[in-house]
Amino acid sequence: MRLALYVTCLVDLMRPSIGFASLRLLENLGCEVVVPPGQTCCGQPAWSAGNRDLAGDLARQAIAGLESYDYVVIPSGSCADHIRNAYPQLLTADPAWAARAQAVAGRTYELSSFLNEVLKPESLPGEFSGSVTYHDSCKGLRGLGIKQQPRALLARVRGLSLAEMKDCEECCGFGGAFAVRFGDISTAIVDRKCESIAAVGADAVVGGDLGCLLNIEGRLRRRGDLRTQVLHLAEVLAGPEPR
Amino acid sequence: MHSQAMFFRARAAAQVGNKGLQKALEKAKPLFVGKRAKGIAGLADDGLDFTELRAACTAIRRRVVDDLDVWLEIFEERARAGGAEVLWARDGDEICRQVIDIAQRHGVSKVVKSKSMLSEEAGLNEALSAAGIQPVETDLGEYIVQLAGEAPSHIIAPAIHKTLGEVEALFAEHHGRPGQARTAADIPLLAAEARAVLRQHFLSAEMGISGANFLIAESGSAALVTNEGNGRMVTTLPKVHVVITGIEKIVPTLENFATLMRLLPRSATGQSISNYVSLLTGTRGADETEGPEKTVFILVDNGRAALAGSDFADMLRCIRCGACMNHCPVYFSLGGHAYGWVYPGPMGSVLTPLYTGIENALDLPHASTGCNQCGSVCPVNIPLPALMHRLREIQHERALRPWRERFALRAWGWLAARPGLYRLLTRLTARYLCWLADDSGRIRVLGLAPGWTDERDLPAPLGKTFHELYAARKRA
Repeated sequence: MRLALYVTCLVDLMRPSIGFASLRLLENLGCEVVVPPGQTCCGQPAWSAGNRDLAGDLARQAIAGLESYDYVVIPSGSCADHIRNAYPQLLTADPAWAARAQAVAGRTYELSSFLNEVLKPESLPGEFSGSVTYHDSCKGLRGLGIKQQPRALLARVRGLSLAEMKDCEECCGFGGAFAVRFGDISTAIVDRKCESIAAVGADAVVGGDLGCLLNIEGRLRRRGDLRTQVLHLAEVLAGPEPR
Repeated sequence: MHSQAMFFRARAAAQVGNKGLQKALEKAKPLFVGKRAKGIAGLADDGLDFTELRAACTAIRRRVVDDLDVWLEIFEERARAGGAEVLWARDGDEICRQVIDIAQRHGVSKVVKSKSMLSEEAGLNEALSAAGIQPVETDLGEYIVQLAGEAPSHIIAPAIHKTLGEVEALFAEHHGRPGQARTAADIPLLAAEARAVLRQHFLSAEMGISGANFLIAESGSAALVTNEGNGRMVTTLPKVHVVITGIEKIVPTLENFATLMRLLPRSATGQSISNYVSLLTGTRGADETEGPEKTVFILVDNGRAALAGSDFADMLRCIRCGACMNHCPVYFSLGGHAYGWVYPGPMGSVLTPLYTGIENALDLPHASTGCNQCGSVCPVNIPLPALMHRLREIQHERALRPWRERFALRAWGWLAARPGLYRLLTRLTARYLCWLADDSGRIRVLGLAPGWTDERDLPAPLGKTFHELYAARKRA
């Protein structure tokens, strides 16, 4: 099985460790992982801004780079949702690309759903001593139905206990450009998330989307919480980088 | 009602900082969410399945919207057969003219009103007052906001933004009594006080104005779903009853109405059925002792007909339950007034631009995180985020976004389509962001995106991009 790891533009720029954790994890579980060169961004920001032409151009670029692999795995529910659900409708009227968009969409998986539904590993390399609480990212949850997958995986990490926070399915207030365009509203929303996190008192909050994690961590730190770790699921499942 | 939606950003900023409002919203949110969840879970007790019921409700509403003109003609004919008059209004001004004309012909000096969002669209209360006719809102929440000189901030809980203390102060002032310290235990006393005042208005008003939750085509009836009973008095005590409602509110049959009633109260308040469900058909019969002598339906377009057959036709299915705003993180950070027109929350972010002009409400379709909590609870499957998205596309097509935003997007897109150049720039950006960070790896001030760092840190990257590190690893 030859799979493409699509690391996402946010992981590339802001936290490469998530990309390497995903890579390590998938290789550890026996996959042949390729990071296709030439990947930039899936185009979701253009799509969200209403720029259909630009979103279409970036979709074609991504499809061309990803279509020769058995699977495309993405450590992000948001980007995976965009490729799976937006690409086919974005390119539906383009006869040269509609079928290619469908094909790539069908082979694209968010990391936790790929592990749970396709790979089904017997054991996971990660270890974590302490409690974690899982934040359900909106696009993964409501766009791709990702709910039990990350929890099933976390339950198998040695030393880890899962503590559910109140309203774990509620949006954290990130929303891409929304967080910058309406910073005050976004802060009001993430404050409620921070309160839920504080109330559950876990050692770490874990999620599957770096956008949400940057938002949550940024607000937690500004509120003075320097203790709660904010981790991507891949980082927890993959375990530490070998020296 | 004159739209203030173009001032969304400033209004939102004021509401985020409004402590009293935030307290009121904080209290209301878990009630709304919890009650709906319980109501939907309760469907199983009646052997019903939410997904199936939702599909059935969606199909009923879609059938109407697909052939709206036909259903309206059937309704008009049946309503007339029942003795009602049927008028058509193109917009809010026409509603006001028609209502004032009816009032003047019947010598009306006071009107009692049960909740009607259409009357808010029309700014009817102001028009009535200007014509020397006193409008009295009788829904308790709507009565409170009328006393305060405000508009409703929620479609089913108009005074949700008010605290107990604010209501007490309003009642003391308007009911001419000294103010008192109040606790939640006094709420029934305040309700009784309003009831006593309103009772006099019910008995003295010559005309009642209500909305309608649905219009039943097969019987020519208006269906009214309420919890306070004021709706029944508004529609039966005065000699004239005017129903003002949107043309999309039609339901073909009573059977269909019963199906929709499985989900409407549950989605709104979590109730399996509301305290009152009224079916109002025609005028008082010769052998009857109750009901109005004259019933008039005013069926309003105000932008609706243009949505039929358009990219936004799905929105016409809306049954005004309020579940979308009750589950919206943005709504519960702002309350309804920030949205600047009649309908707040996700439904408002779609309807306000469509009914008042896309260029007059540019922020609203963007005032969403795209979380789809609204779409996932909508009882008639309206894809609210997709409709907001379509409005964003139209803004883009018409070049309505600020030039800086358009330029930034174009520059970023140009770069993202050139991976080599993109790599170079992200490498520089990673270094720059790393340089901006303090010792604990946090960026406190980011000039490029002050909206982010005003109240949040930005966890900084370590200085090298993934692709840079990966390439180095491959070489090694």
